[in-house]
Formats: sequence, structure tokens, C-alpha cells
Amino acid sequence: MIVLARRLVQLVAVVLAATFLTFTAMNTLGDPLFNVVGFVAAVDCDAVEAGEIEDISGQGGTSLGDCAVVAEAREEFHLNEPLPIRYGRWVGDLIRGDFGTSFKNRMPVSTVLADRLPKSLLLMGMAEVFAVALSVPWALAAAYRANRAMDRASTIGAFGMLALPNFALGVILFYFFVVKWQIFPSRFEDDNLAVRLKSLVLPALTLGMPLAATYFRLLRTDLITTLQEDFVVMAKAKGLSNRWIMFRHALRPSMFSLVTVFGLNTAALIGGALIVEQIFSIPGLGRALVEASIRDDYPVVLGATVVIATGFVAINFAVDLVYSYLDPRVRRES
Amino acid sequence: MGQKGLSGMDAPVQTDPEEQFGVAVVRRLGAGFWIAASWIVVMVAAAVLAPWLPIADPNETGVGGRMDGPGWSNWFGTDSNGRDMFSRTIWGARVSLIVGFFSILLGICVGGTLGMIAGYFRGIVDRVISFSVFVLLAFPALVLALLVIGLAGQTLPIVTMTLGILAIAPIARLSRATTLAYSEREFVAAARVLGATDRRIMIRELLPNVLIPMGALTLLGMAITIVVEGGLAFLGLSVEEGFSWGKMIVLGSSPRTLREGPWVAMFPIGAMFMTVLALNFAGDRLREYFDVRELGIGVG
Repeated sequence: MIVLARRLVQLVAVVLAATFLTFTAMNTLGDPLFNVVGFVAAVDCDAVEAGEIEDISGQGGTSLGDCAVVAEAREEFHLNEPLPIRYGRWVGDLIRGDFGTSFKNRMPVSTVLADRLPKSLLLMGMAEVFAVALSVPWALAAAYRANRAMDRASTIGAFGMLALPNFALGVILFYFFVVKWQIFPSRFEDDNLAVRLKSLVLPALTLGMPLAATYFRLLRTDLITTLQEDFVVMAKAKGLSNRWIMFRHALRPSMFSLVTVFGLNTAALIGGALIVEQIFSIPGLGRALVEASIRDDYPVVLGATVVIATGFVAINFAVDLVYSYLDPRVRRES
Repeated sequence: MGQKGLSGMDAPVQTDPEEQFGVAVVRRLGAGFWIAASWIVVMVAAAVLAPWLPIADPNETGVGGRMDGPGWSNWFGTDSNGRDMFSRTIWGARVSLIVGFFSILLGICVGGTLGMIAGYFRGIVDRVISFSVFVLLAFPALVLALLVIGLAGQTLPIVTMTLGILAIAPIARLSRATTLAYSEREFVAAARVLGATDRRIMIRELLPNVLIPMGALTLLGMAITIVVEGGLAFLGLSVEEGFSWGKMIVLGSSPRTLREGPWVAMFPIGAMFMTVLALNFAGDRLREYFDVRELGIGVG
């Protein structure tokens, strides 16, 4: 219970810090009003009211009536109030479960998130499944015969894989599987689950292969260290089969760094797959974040930030639970 | 399978520890390092000397035909405007390397100094700096990049500065950790007993020790910033004037260009891959050579 409470406090602190910074930056560096009403946002409406300016067409507006639109938008989005009060209002709404309204088409942010998040989660899940399915057997095979040809080739291969940027891998896969051989669709298709899974295969591979290389390197190193432990010598002396030793004795205690990095990467993938989503035209959370940032549509950016921060803290919590499953010693200490 | 299996188990007896754990015990850089270093030197030289090299003007259209494949007259082929891809790849290196180098330099100057101050003085100074670093890390990097670049303009200095700011936090963390470790050492205590001022201790005693891991970090960090710049290009945030490798890859990766001339995207990809590989490898070897513990920097 105490652990859970501490996690909740941490979550609130991280969400508040991240959203406050985003909120301030987007409102001081950008101009949200501009994206609601257009160029007319630049018109000095106070001067118009005072009758100092008669014709505002040179300032970006077309008619004097535009000032009413500006005032209305200011009122609707509370843009004429001081920053701290607006941030407070946003937090208050959030506590009541209201994420606010997007500037773009006045859609509730929760609708935008509900539409985008499942696609990102599916992509994240597939990428991690590919990464683990590739890396674990690969690391087991390499560590099993450390420093032999297969191991050396794998280590070099993993090193090379990590030097290939994500977007470059994406373009290469796109070229071969979409343009040349036309095995996969060129953009995201959403008709049914099978089609959706199929159009996510390439992006998931793009994300998953560098991850697999990272996991391989970690697990291989840890496995080799574990294989020198006394209990492995003991198991061997007992006459247990190599296969049994590898899977039942060596693998579990070797998974600590893997689990840590797995957690960090999974959290990063929730909203961080934006470049891959861009290349393969997937309407996921990352793309929503990019589009909203460009438009200074800060309700959407803040909503996405909340989701990402929550996912980050939740996944780290899950990782801690997995630690105690992997190693009983951790359980006793905490 | 048989008894020959599980060689990892007997390995430490029969192989040298360097191979086993990737920690250099024997102090040599190896041939691989020199190959990687030569590639970097050639790349930098080509980028610096690009205006004087006997290559086509990268922006001149109609040097070759439209979408000519790689051949004798145009080594890397031409793009849809008949521009020479070999020349463009070399000119693209200029922007990519400038962004990569100067942003990591900025990160090391600011982040390294902050980290050293925090690690040396501890107490309230450390707490303030560490909290700022944490906040910078928690801030969605992309939002910052989008806002700053979108607002201040997509010029070379702005893109470089933005990536540099993003690099400050992780570098400050590394520099603080290294300084903390060295502040406890005898030579620092000795200098203090001899009456050295804080400034003298930091510059004469600590800085040389902190700079060594930072040197390896420059190479590894440059690899990361070059890649991040390429990522920004995919979001339409690369430099507006001129072009980097990232921007070239974006231009070459539309389905139509890929179908008609895959080389337009593949040569910049190859150049970037080789350079990042060389930077990673050289950086790794240098770090092992100076026997610094593994510390992830995790930018981007």
C-alpha cells in the first residue's frame, strides 16, 4: 500500500511538472489564438474599439466584425486570463476527468486520445513482441557458445543494427516490402483486426529490430556472467542437461537489465514512435502530438503528456514488480 | 550438443577478459578504431573541403539525366531534377556534421560545467541544478524542439542550439557523477590541504579527469545528434536553407522517388549509417581505452 501511495505521489509530481512546463512554453512561445481564428489574431482590437483604426485589412483582418470573432474565441478558451489561473483551471478540469477541447475542430481531447491511443498501444505491443521474440533466443544461442563464430557475428551484427537510425530502417523496409515487392500496404488500414495487424508489421519491425539489438547485447552479457556462477557449475555437476541449465537456471537471474531497459523503452514508445508513425502514415498518439505541437493546440499536447507520463510511471511500477518475481532477494529487501 | 556446450561457462579461463566483458585490460585501440577514425577524418575533410573539391554543384539541375542510376559520370546517380547525388551527399555531410558537432559542444560546455559545479559543491547548489536537470529530462523533448525551431526559424544555428539544449541534461548528469567520484579521491584532498582554491581544484585537478570521459562522449553524442537531426527532418523541422543527410533521406523516401530511383534515399542513408557506426565504434573504443565505467547518456 505504501509503495502504491508513493507511486501515486510520484505520478502526480511528474504530470504536474511536465504539463506546467508544456503549458507555459506553448502559451509564451506560441500563440494559441492564431490557430483558432487565423491571421486576424494579430489585429490590435483595443485600438479598433477606441476608434483609432478604421481599416484593419492591412493587419490581417478583413472586416471590423473580425474583432468580435477574436473576442469570442478569447472568451471561449479563456485566453484573456492570466497564465497561472488558466493552468489552475486546466488542472481542475483534469481532476474532474475533463481533458478540455482541441482547438482544431473543437473535438473533446478525450475523444482524440481515445482514437489515437489504441493504435499506438498496438504498435508498441507488436514492436516489443518482435524485439523479445528475436533477442531472447538469439542471446541464449550466442551466450551458449560465447566467443565462437556465431557469437562474434551476432555481436557485430547488433552493433551495426544500432548504428542504423530508426527512420533509415523504416525507409529501407518501406522500399523493399511496400514499393518493390508490394507485400504490405503503403498506409495504415483500419478495416478489421487482421488488416490492422498487417499494416502494423513493418512499423513494428522498424521499431522492434533496434530494440532487439539492444536487448540482445544486455542479455548476452548478463547470461555470460551468470554462467560463471557457482550454482551453474553445481547444476552441471549434477548432470542436468545444458538446455535445462540455460532455460531454468541461467535465464531468470540474467534478466534484470533486460527488464529495466524493456520498461524504459516501452514507456518511451507510447508517444515516442512519431517518426515511424509519420513514415508509415499511422494516425497514432505520436503523430497527434506532432500535429498539435505545430498548431499550438495545447489541450491535445497536454492530454498526450498526461497519458505518456502516466504510462511511464505505471510501466516503471510494473518493472519493480517483475524484479521481485525474478529475484526473491529483492522481495525481502522492500 | 554434448560436453562441448556451455562454453560461456568455461570461457574466462581460456579467453582474455577484454573479449568477455568488453572492458579493456590490454591498452590498445586496435585496427578497428583506426579504420573508424579514418572514416571520420575523410568525412570531415570532404565536408570542409566541399567547395573546392572537383565535384558538381549540388544545386545545379541537369548535371545528368533525370533519375540516372549510379554510373561512371554520376557515381551516386542523379535525383529527379538531374542533380548529382554524390556531390549532394558530400554537401549534406556539412550540415549534418556541423549540427552534430556544435550541438554536442554546446551540451558539453553548459551541461559539463553545471554537472561539475553540482558534483563539487554539493548541498543546495547540487539540489537546484539536479532538480533543473530532472525537469529538463521530464519535459517532452519534442515539444521543446517543435516550439523553438518552429518559432525561431529553421536556420542552422537554431537547429544546432535546440539539439544542444536537449543534450545538456544527460551530459550534466554524467559530469556530476564523474565529479562526485573524483572529489573523494586523495589528490583532491591533498590539493585542498595545500591551500588550493575551489576554482584551482576544479580546473587543475578535476577538469582533466572529467574531460577524458567527455571526449569519448563527444563522439557518441555526435552520433546521436546526427540521428536526431535526421529525425527532425522527418517532422519537417530540419534546416530550411541547404540540406542535411536527414533532409535528403526525407526527399528521397516518397513512394514515387523510391520506385523510380531508390539510390536518391539509399546513398544518404549509407553515408549516415557509416558515419554513425564509425562514431559509435571509435567512441566505444576510446571509452574502454580510458577505462571509464559504463554510463548511458540516452539522448533522444
